Amino acid sequence: MADLQDDTPATTEVGGGYDLPDDPFPEQPAGELLARAHSLLAGHPVADGYSGLPWALRHLPWYDLELGEAAVDTDVPRLREGHVGALFWSLHLPEGTGGERAVAATLEQLDQVRAVVEAHPEGLRLVRTAGQIIDARNRGRVAVLLGPAHGTALDDSLGILRVLHTLGLRVLSLTGTAWAGTSGLTRFGEEVVREMNRLGVLADVTGACEATVERTLALSKTPVLCTRSAARALRPHPANLPDELLAALGAARGLCMVPLTAEQTGPTVPDVADHLDHVRDVAGPECVGLSGTYDSGAVHPRELADASRYPHLIAELLRRGWTEAELALLTWGNVQRVLRSADFTARAAQQRREASTVRITDLDAP
Amino acid sequence: MSAVAALDAARALLREFPVVDGHNDLPWALRKQSGYDLDALDIAGDQHEHLHTDLPRLREGGVGAQYWSVYVPAEEPEPVAATLEQIDCVRQLLARYPAQLAPALTAADMEAARRDGRIASLMGAEGGHSIANSLGTLRGLYALGVRYMTLTHNSNVDWADSATDEPNVGGLSAFGREVVREMNRVGMLVDLSHVAATTMRDALDAVSAPVIFSHSSARAVCDHPRNIPDDVLERLPANGGVAMVTFVPKFVLQAAVDWTAAADENMRAHGLHHLDTSPEAMKIHRAFEERTPRPVATVSTVADHLDHMREVAGIDHLGIGGDYDGTAFTPDGLNDVSGYPNLLAELLERGWSTADLAKLTWQNAVRVLGAAEDVARDLQATRAPSLATIASLDGTRG
Repeated sequence: MADLQDDTPATTEVGGGYDLPDDPFPEQPAGELLARAHSLLAGHPVADGYSGLPWALRHLPWYDLELGEAAVDTDVPRLREGHVGALFWSLHLPEGTGGERAVAATLEQLDQVRAVVEAHPEGLRLVRTAGQIIDARNRGRVAVLLGPAHGTALDDSLGILRVLHTLGLRVLSLTGTAWAGTSGLTRFGEEVVREMNRLGVLADVTGACEATVERTLALSKTPVLCTRSAARALRPHPANLPDELLAALGAARGLCMVPLTAEQTGPTVPDVADHLDHVRDVAGPECVGLSGTYDSGAVHPRELADASRYPHLIAELLRRGWTEAELALLTWGNVQRVLRSADFTARAAQQRREASTVRITDLDAP
Repeated sequence: MSAVAALDAARALLREFPVVDGHNDLPWALRKQSGYDLDALDIAGDQHEHLHTDLPRLREGGVGAQYWSVYVPAEEPEPVAATLEQIDCVRQLLARYPAQLAPALTAADMEAARRDGRIASLMGAEGGHSIANSLGTLRGLYALGVRYMTLTHNSNVDWADSATDEPNVGGLSAFGREVVREMNRVGMLVDLSHVAATTMRDALDAVSAPVIFSHSSARAVCDHPRNIPDDVLERLPANGGVAMVTFVPKFVLQAAVDWTAAADENMRAHGLHHLDTSPEAMKIHRAFEERTPRPVATVSTVADHLDHMREVAGIDHLGIGGDYDGTAFTPDGLNDVSGYPNLLAELLERGWSTADLAKLTWQNAVRVLGAAEDVARDLQATRAPSLATIASLDGTRG
């Protein structure tokens, strides 16, 4: 039962003492803020919602992530410097990969991920659950979770969803398929979400149309993720969420993971912090997370060029008065919560539901 | 020994050394008959009207380990996706009948299942089309529990020739040899049923672990391309592999081979493809069957194959692969998965010792999987996962 216990305290007593109550935004030297950010992250490292590393490595003839790899944004020394404790490795495929090819290519991606993790046993550890993330951290390893994979990887089959879950998949993006297209979830799409709940695969609705987001929030028995969404009120990008959806996501205790990309959040650290402030204010501090989106081809804000730069962002948030409890939730606690909730929901659902054998042609008119 | 005494002795032997069967197509039958609805065809009960296989008859037949085939036809438009659905089906069966079926990935798992009195359940893929020319996909199937792959089914793959297709690459291509090497490295058994004799020989040259024939009999006894020629059987002692005799009448009985050829010829004479199953074609086929009754194989037919295979390959290289639910017709006395005791009784009457039969039913098949694991451990110490592609080794083909 140990892994049901929440390791993140709701409050934290460290770090108080040098702000006077009548001086809420004192000018603190940047070095001091950075030192506080480092010490805070040492206790509550970053669980990063999206890394494109597997696909980026595919094109390298040789690499050593433990020694350091300049050709990518992510390697073990920089993950340690940035206090990254866990990261989700995207299994997204290039646009337009569908059908049989998407299935085989996803198997190949999973195979490659396993080989990469096995080749770096001192630095990385493949995990599935929140408890295993803690184990990895206690052993000084960065936990690697699998996902999000693209919905096309299922080739419209719940059997393939189960097989991918067997291989470790934890997050699936509900976009670009026949059952989660521009008009929302079809009946089969709803069955996919129910089966994901039964297995403990988290739904990622970044980039999904509004109808899909709303239906998924209503249907899912466990919180939903947006692995790469910022605030549309601040920056009009199709993957960013309008305030109504942010509020709805917050009401459903979902998690909006703000990407560190110039395109979605803006070119500077304060721009990113503005989005984090906004998402925190609209959705709530339990519903905001971080998504580095490194090695995905995106352009990053200045000062946030690679996986080692998280302390600079946290220092900016400290300057803005984020409490340490809020920061602990932002970097680490919220991801722990959604993973634990998904596992709990899955265990409960498996008592009630058999594996679904429904096919898309049974539910959706061709 | 009287027939009754022989059958009793056979059953007693099977309680200690149950059958490891190399090939059973129940997953495909479930897909075709019920769309994987395991409630509709509940194998905990009697399903003899629909299937060769259910749990009570597996018990009656003394089956202690089963390689469930995750076969999909090569003509399937999306063979990898369909193979994953077949794997999911086996996993659902294991989840549904945990008291009867034990998931098994290793020889040690098989022994543990035998001690528990459960049926060790393994998976085998039937045909290289299931990996779509991708070694990453091959390793994915291994990770999902697939422990053998038949290199081809009835038609060639880009890198290997089938026994029942026109010669193309003349055995294994360079990529085909790499597939076999990679299978040895990960610990997946190389299955040479269904492949051309040239492919069998090329594979035996390329492997560093024992091979299996998951369901093939002896070509010297019955001349059919699906059977194993003597020169290949002779190489099994050096390789350590196991040939698992199959029961399919049109492979094991010469009269049935000839009858099938005549029936196919009759279809072609009517301007139809010999595998046509349209109502019109079936009518013509039934008329032929009324004129010329289908020859019936028996337990003795199969025993003849085993006697010969034992002569050529030796007792340490034999096993059983019934191909139940993968064939429409079965021999008399081996009608379904409850029939194995009849085969053992026949062999006892022919003078096989109980020690011989223990090798045939259990020991050889378990040994060969354990040997594949040992070889894989050694190879993994020195060789990284292969990144070869069919384009890099075979040129533009594939």
